[in-house]
This record gives sequence, structure tokens and C-alpha cells, in this order.
Amino acid sequence: MLADPLSRRTFLAVSSTALGAAWLAADPALVRAALDHAARAARSPLSPGSPDPVPWDVLTPDQAADLDAIAAQIFPTDDTPGAREARVVTFLDRSLGTWAAQQREPLLHGLDELNGEVERRWPGTQRFANLAPERQLELLRAQEQTPFFQQMRFATLVGMFSLPPYGGNADKAGWRVIGFEDRYAWQPPFGDYDAEAARGGR
Amino acid sequence: MRPARPAVRFDPRRTVDFVVVGSGAAGGIIAKELATAGLTVVVLEQGPRVEPPQFEHDEIKTLFQSALQNNPAGFTFRRTASETAKPGQIQLLYHRLVGGGSVMFTANYWRFREIDFIEKSRLGAISGTGLEDWPITYRDLEPYYTKAEWELGVSGEPGPFDPPRTRPYPLPPLPVKSSGVLFERGARALGLHPQPAPLAILSQPFNGRPACQHCGYCLGFGCEFRAKSSTLYTVIPMAEATGRCEVRPNSYVRRIEVDRKGRVTGATYFDENKKEQVQRARAVVLCCNGSETPRLLLLSASSRFPNGLANSSGVVGKYLMFNGYSSSSGVFERPLNEFKSVTATRVLYDFYESDPKRGFYGGGAPDARSFAYPTIFALGGLPHDAPSWGAGYKRILRDYYTRTMNVDGHSTSLPLETNTISLDPDMKDAWGLPAMRVTYKDHADDLAMMRFLQDRAIEILEAAGARRTWRQPVQETNLAAHLLGTCRMGDDPRTSVVDRYHRAHDVRNLFICDGSSLITGGRGQPTATIQALAYRAGEHIAAFARRGEI
Repeated sequence: MLADPLSRRTFLAVSSTALGAAWLAADPALVRAALDHAARAARSPLSPGSPDPVPWDVLTPDQAADLDAIAAQIFPTDDTPGAREARVVTFLDRSLGTWAAQQREPLLHGLDELNGEVERRWPGTQRFANLAPERQLELLRAQEQTPFFQQMRFATLVGMFSLPPYGGNADKAGWRVIGFEDRYAWQPPFGDYDAEAARGGR
Repeated sequence: MRPARPAVRFDPRRTVDFVVVGSGAAGGIIAKELATAGLTVVVLEQGPRVEPPQFEHDEIKTLFQSALQNNPAGFTFRRTASETAKPGQIQLLYHRLVGGGSVMFTANYWRFREIDFIEKSRLGAISGTGLEDWPITYRDLEPYYTKAEWELGVSGEPGPFDPPRTRPYPLPPLPVKSSGVLFERGARALGLHPQPAPLAILSQPFNGRPACQHCGYCLGFGCEFRAKSSTLYTVIPMAEATGRCEVRPNSYVRRIEVDRKGRVTGATYFDENKKEQVQRARAVVLCCNGSETPRLLLLSASSRFPNGLANSSGVVGKYLMFNGYSSSSGVFERPLNEFKSVTATRVLYDFYESDPKRGFYGGGAPDARSFAYPTIFALGGLPHDAPSWGAGYKRILRDYYTRTMNVDGHSTSLPLETNTISLDPDMKDAWGLPAMRVTYKDHADDLAMMRFLQDRAIEILEAAGARRTWRQPVQETNLAAHLLGTCRMGDDPRTSVVDRYHRAHDVRNLFICDGSSLITGGRGQPTATIQALAYRAGEHIAAFARRGEI
């Protein structure tokens, strides 16, 4: 049921998928609460490892570190920002404490299971975040069909590209990576091909 | 466009001339036509009133959380009557707020053509289907298409296959996007005839509203600029400005009341505190859309109307049509930036009519579409065989996001008696009323037409020079934004629910006008026809009221 949660590309279908429905069927009032919360939190530093971090809403520091590491594998940093710079883990924490609260238990349960797998494969290593990046990748590749991984993929990408007040997409990092601009008022030409046509190249 | 005076408020105990249930594409127009004709009107809208400054470009809230859908009701779904319907199997996409679907629709504004009204006599009956001619023709409806275009504001330019029109479009087409330029290039190379897509979006200032700012958030979003021609800020303020129309939001109608003579007397509804109220009226017009209207009629069953109000024919809720849909994508060398401006700027009507040579019934049109809301694109915009996470995924996403466009197909649904809206025997909605049950299975010809248009879409994208194309597999419909046909119009009370003037055959002072009135579903963009019908119905209903014929 969760193997291909986005088999239909149209956005309208996203929320009809099992994962989408689970993550997204919240009360809009809770979304408002999340935005208000994020607006307050944005006034203070809150990224993991910052000197005086705002306490996480629902995550323990260990859980935050693990989810941050997973998100960073799903949308890695290269010559452009990835999930870590976009503070996707902040998005996760805020969401799981508000509008996506019903996803908290399944997600953290899935994380526990993942860490159980870490311990089984690499005795002595207790947490995903403590694995070397190559091993993180190896483990996630083996887990990519699990509901937990699919949920993390979904949430990471939503955190990466949704409005910054939700806690992720910090400094519009996600948008800048793909070339989206939130100017919301444009004049033609919009792209290369209509510009070319307007110059008489049609 | 604000009302010239404080909007009137009627005491529910006072009998007004009309209760209109629903304030969307049709209801807003009916209310305006009745109120400007001198009649008193209470519009009962189940959703809230949201004004344009409150509309946001928030994918989480607007799309994922369905904030504008305001849907706590729930419904069940099954493919055939032999199955037990279950929740969550399909999406019915419509919006519960003042203005209804006209707030968030993509604003495609295609007229139906002559053929849509007379297809059965042209093609002959199709066995196992309810394909019927309409009791009215394109010629009957043409003045009302024109009225809708000029009163609401529509931008366009006639093309080679357009039906005759008595006036030009009030506004020129929106500026072409890169997707439109490429679509034209591909289609022309194939000898086809692309044209500007008609849109209920202002290309220039019109009637005190500004032109489109090209923000890129049409499909699924409300327009904060009021450039999309929603009833919310066009006809509804005109109705309110008469001082005879009250739009009452958060009013969820549970039953249409009937007296011993079989005449409707008003509507019982839950107010925002879930408290029951009754609004009395001389006549009632249902404009709740093709799913909610038949449900309300079925919920209004009584000893006098045991099978549901206005349902002596047994046809209420039957012949549900969703319209066919297919989607294909192509990626090009250079940026298109489809996240800017309206959804579609070019369309192709070469395949509009059914062609026996294809071997199946159906017709439709592909259009050049953007698919570029950033979160949605990231989640599902890439080819299915592309990596879905990690460095490879990120690389392709960065390459494709600004360079991808869609060609989507929009097509016919045959009216089938077995595709229905009914009441679920078990599930209740948030007010304790029987939930809606949807039964729907696409006809094989509908699926064949979706595949046919998808093949053409791929040809167009390739002819336009796409580096790569990919398809969204055509499958049975699991998302429905168009809800049509469930209280069909006809001359024969045994086989239809309303007459050619939208009066219920069984109840003299009950009228029904929305997507449910359609006998055939057109080619995938029904709003212009729903609104033309609403202008026509409003004019006739007002005349009936003036003559004492309600």
C-alpha cells in the first residue's frame, strides 16, 4: 500500500495516497497553530548544534540528529543547499507537534526500528546519526520501500519546498535550488521559449 | 464591487421568495439573476466566506490540508454496486465556501459545441449507456454563454473549430507561456490547429477588477487579485447590492421541506453551531453541484416522496459523469519557468468530435499545462524511473523543474445508469446524516479516449523537441473535479429530473441548476456550460415568479 505513494503525479492525487492522507488530513486550524509557532520560533536560533538551541517541541536531541541525518541523505547537500541547510528537521519537529501530530508515533516508532537495524548490523553503533555517511546510504537503500522511509521522503520534500514559516525551506533554500521564485507577480516573457517567440522567432 | 449598502439580513421565519442552496459557479449567478429581478433571496452556503486577501500560496494548507474544501463530511466509494463502498478510495475535489468551485478552479472556459447537445441523433444510441440528446440546443444556450463571458470576464480568441458566437470575447487571450509556444510548435508540425485557451481570467482590467498578475497559483487556489472570474467577487456582490439577497455562510442544508400538497416550503439547515434552523421560502433552487444536489434530494425523502424528493423517475443520482483525464510530460533544453502565470495558454480542438474511425466513442482536447507548484513537483513531477531521493534525484529535480511542461487530455464520459451518487447505508457525516456514496466505473470507451489523447500529447511534445517525454499511466478515475449528470434535464418526467427550464418535474416550486443538470458531460471543461445554464435558468425562474408560476 505504501510502496508507490505517489504513483499519480497530479498534485491533486497526492493527498489521496495512503501517506498523503496520513500526513495531510489534519485540521487547518492546527496548520495555523503550526505557522504561529514557527513564526515565534523563527525569532531565535534553533538548528541542531547551534550554541543555545531552542528546545525541540517533540523530538529528543538524539531523534533530531537521526532525522536530520536521514533527511540529509534524502535531499543531500552538494554545491547547493540540502535538507540540512533548509532545516527540514525543524519542519519535522514543528509539524509533528502540531498539524501532523498523528504522525509522531508511527514516525518515531519507525525510527526506533531503524536504529534497531543499525545496532543489529553494526553492533556498538546505536544510532543512525552515528553511522558513516556511506553506511547511512547503504542502510537507507535497503529500507527504501518501508513505510518509515516513504514517510520520511514525503516529509523531507514537503519540508524542503513548502513555505518557510512551517520551519523548513530556510532562507528559501529549497526554492533557490530548483529555480522557483516566490515573487508572485510576473510579466512576460516567462521563459526562454515565449521570450524567443516574442522576439519574432515563432 | 462591495455592496453599496450593508448586506440585508432576513429573519429565517420570514418567508422569502427564494432559497438558493449553494453559492458556487451556478448558485451565485442564480442569486444575482433573481435578486436583480426584484425577488428576495437567501443563499445557504455550507462553507465559510473567505475574502480574496485571505487567499494564500500555501501548498500545505491549500492543497494538502484542503483548507478551501472544508470537508468534514466524508463519503464512501465503490466501483460497482456489487462492492461494499469504503471511505478514502477516491477524491472528489470541490470546495465548500462562498463562491464554491469558481474560487479555485483552473478557469478553463470552453463552450460546449452544437454536437454536444445532439450527439445521440448524430451518432445513434450507444448500447448500455444513457447517451441522450438535450432538450435544448447550442443555439438556445449561446446568448447565455455570451452573457457569462461578458458579465464574469473571459479572455480568449476564437479558433477554427469554435462554435458560432454572437459577440467576441470581452478580453484578448492571456500572454502565451513557453508551454504554449512549444505546444503550438509541436501541434503545427503535425498539421494540427492549436489556439489560445479560453480562460475566465482577466487579461486586462475589467469591471473594476485588475488584470492577472501571473502569480502562477490558479489550479486549486483562490485568486487574491480577483483576476480569476469567481462568482465570489463578480455576481455575488451584484446580488447583495440589490438589498434583496443575503448570502448566509456556514449553513449546511440537511433537508428540503415539503407541505401536504407536495410543494417545497423552505430548507432546514444546521448553522455554524450545528443548531437546526429553518428558512422558509416560496420556492427553492438547488445549486449544490452534481454530488451534493442528488444527495440532498435523497436526504429529503418523505412519506410523499419516499424515493427522495423529485425522484419519481428514479433517476436522481444516476448518470454521474466525471470527464476523462490523461497527463503527459516533456522536458526541454531551456527554461520554461512554468511556475509563472496561468495554468494553460494553448488548447487543441482537432479531436473534439467523436470519430467512428477510432473504433470507440469519445472526443476531447489536449492543452499545454504547467505543473510546477514546487512541493508537488518535487513529490511527483519526475519520470517514474527517475531516482526518487538522494544525489541523483536532486540532480534531475534541479534540471527538470524549470524545463518541464505537461500536455493533459480532457475528454468525454459516457452517462451510465450504474454510475451514481446515493446514500451510504452505514457511514454518517459530521452532522450525523447518511454520508454520500459514490459508485463509478469508467466506460471502456472513456478509457480508450484518454489513451488516444495521451498518444497525441506525446506526439505533440516530441514534435516540439522535447528531450524526453513520459506518461502518467491512464487508469480508472480516482480523482473527480467535475460532478455532472445526476439530475438530468429532459422533456420526459419518466426519464429525467428537471425540465428544460430546470424545474423539477415532480415539484412545481423546486428548481435545480448545476452540474447535475447536464445530460452529456462535454469534453472536460464544464464550467462555462454550467454558468450559461445558470443565466438561462435564472432568467426563466424569475419570469415564472413574476407570473405567479411557482
